[in-house]
Amino acid sequence: MEYGGGTVYDPKTVESVKREQPAWEAQAKKMLRSDEIPTRTTLSGLEVKPVYTPADVANIHFSEIGWPGGYPMARGLYPLGYLVTPWMNQQVMGYGLAEHSRAVFDRLVAEGMEGYFGHKVMNLVFDNPTKGGIDPDWPEAKGHVGVGGMNFSNLRDLEILTNGLDLATTNISMITGDTCLYALAAYVTAAEKQGFDRKVLRGNSMNWLLKNWHVDNMSFPAKNALYLTGELIEFASQHMPLWNTLNISGYLMREAGANAVQELAFCMAWGREVIRHCINERGLNVDDFAGRFGFQISAHMDLFEEVAKMRAWRIMWARMLKEEFGAKNWRTWQARFHVHTCGHALTAQQPLVNIVRATIQSLAAVLGGTQSLHTCGYDEALTIPTEESHRLTLRTQQVIMYETGVTNVVDPLGGSWYVESLTQQIIDEAQKIIDHIEEMGGYVAAIESGYLRRVVNEEAYKYHERIRRGERIVVGLNKFQIEETEQPKIFHFDPGVEQEAIRRIRQLKAERDNAAVEAALKRVREAAQARDGLMDSILEAVTVYATQGEVMNVLKGVFGWGWMP
Amino acid sequence: MVKGPIRVLMTKLAFDAHDRALRYVSAKLRDAGMEVIISRFHLVEEVVNTAIQEAVDVIGVSIYTGGQIVVAQDLMELLKARSATDIKVVFGGTIPTDDVQRLKDLGVHDVFPPGTPPEVFTASIERLVRGEVSV
Repeated sequence: MEYGGGTVYDPKTVESVKREQPAWEAQAKKMLRSDEIPTRTTLSGLEVKPVYTPADVANIHFSEIGWPGGYPMARGLYPLGYLVTPWMNQQVMGYGLAEHSRAVFDRLVAEGMEGYFGHKVMNLVFDNPTKGGIDPDWPEAKGHVGVGGMNFSNLRDLEILTNGLDLATTNISMITGDTCLYALAAYVTAAEKQGFDRKVLRGNSMNWLLKNWHVDNMSFPAKNALYLTGELIEFASQHMPLWNTLNISGYLMREAGANAVQELAFCMAWGREVIRHCINERGLNVDDFAGRFGFQISAHMDLFEEVAKMRAWRIMWARMLKEEFGAKNWRTWQARFHVHTCGHALTAQQPLVNIVRATIQSLAAVLGGTQSLHTCGYDEALTIPTEESHRLTLRTQQVIMYETGVTNVVDPLGGSWYVESLTQQIIDEAQKIIDHIEEMGGYVAAIESGYLRRVVNEEAYKYHERIRRGERIVVGLNKFQIEETEQPKIFHFDPGVEQEAIRRIRQLKAERDNAAVEAALKRVREAAQARDGLMDSILEAVTVYATQGEVMNVLKGVFGWGWMP
Repeated sequence: MVKGPIRVLMTKLAFDAHDRALRYVSAKLRDAGMEVIISRFHLVEEVVNTAIQEAVDVIGVSIYTGGQIVVAQDLMELLKARSATDIKVVFGGTIPTDDVQRLKDLGVHDVFPPGTPPEVFTASIERLVRGEVSV
């Protein structure tokens, strides 16, 4: 449904506002005893005025804002917002072995962590060796198995993780690195062994193979990363209609240093590149796959900028999908996003202050209309959160959801002269960057040339220099410091995890049919070389218990592996 | 006594994500007149090889997702085995407070928690290498 409507204020009102403006300015100058009215900038460096009026939104047509659930989705994806579907509490979890992560999941569910329609949500992060395609018994893995995420090396791990769960009502996000094809294959196989058809499975593959330039991990070269991204999308869009196939991560760009405008622009460019690949190289129809894309975005400390960014996000995505790619289904226009509160805004100094930061960031995400939310623990500037701190983040979301009344009204900041104006300002600035990337030849070209990394590094440097010079105040870090005596409780890892993971994988290799594994890995190599039937070959390899490291080694050999520029 | 600019190898595990701090710290050390080499490693041997080949005065290890104790144990042992204990070793990053002392007990010369001002880590490295802070 589309809506019409003229500008949001009639010209008479705007004119009278403009007439009154000089009087306000005169009063301000008089109070300041200065001829210059100061202006400030947002955290991303956008200049903002000291006050906003209808004159600032005089050119905006109501159709550019519209109704919640209506094009261009500025005000949210659904007509009734949180009144009907509150955001999902999607806390990142996962450490140790599969059974440890399952225990954390069971505890969070028991404490009220809930997704849409009462579904369970498992937002599962894997450890670094897993993300990099390294098995726990390889020398590189030493000291890192099960640290900062769950170790996952083969089908058995996911069998343990999912044992006895109703996978038709469990929404699992697998935070993998470059192992996403293997991880999806293993999840599908584990589910089917328990009697669930792949068609009913719900969840999310991060499939963010194009992210590695901004977190600086080794990776497949960008062109091949795009191919592999498309492989997962094509498979899932044909066999797993409820599965979300791509998570475009602005959050990680932000952690690397990008500002809010860059985050938005880069994500749009990334999405555009993948959509073009799926249409042009794979012959898919945009309405058959793009509705299953989502975003993971950051909420930093500038509350209004974040809200405006999220509103701009929905508008730009909807416009691109509808107008550029001709998507007809309104669900395809929806920019669905998960917000992760900003990690690098947290301080190791006076860590309890981080509770306040994460609360404000969470509120920004909610006012911005997020679909799901992860709130950082106060101790995350030091280590992974303790059980107590993890619980507190869930309670933070629950207080916002149940006690504050902010869920009573859809898009409560819509119509704010400032927020509408800032939304437009962010769209305009982001569009310039998107156009620039287009001129360079698109997102992959912008990675390959080193452009993205360079501008993000520069932005990070500026951010830290502003803190160092005291131009930006971070409470407890560069101002209001105290002598700290008490340290927060620290989460301790069980050193036995690594030994047990190694024991298990050795046992697996002794018990499985190794000839079948060899044959399956050969087929993976052939499919990868031929660029034909890759996902099916990985499913076969998973079934005979080839490990993720073994499969990833084949892929690295065929597609290349190294540092992005 | 080291003459000329101090040479620092700034390094990080290959699969340890988020290199923002590594890059900022490296930039600030360069701003302070030091020569900085950035590397990533899978195995600690690679760090020691590079440090010796490049004749660095200091190795700086940046940590985000943990593993600092294991890395420090292997690194300090290997430096000893290769008679390269004149190279100073510092760690920085999201390191739990009770690991700071454990790292120092292993022979790590200094540890910088998140938010350490550039003046502090720069001065510490100067002091470690030159025995004093140059003005």
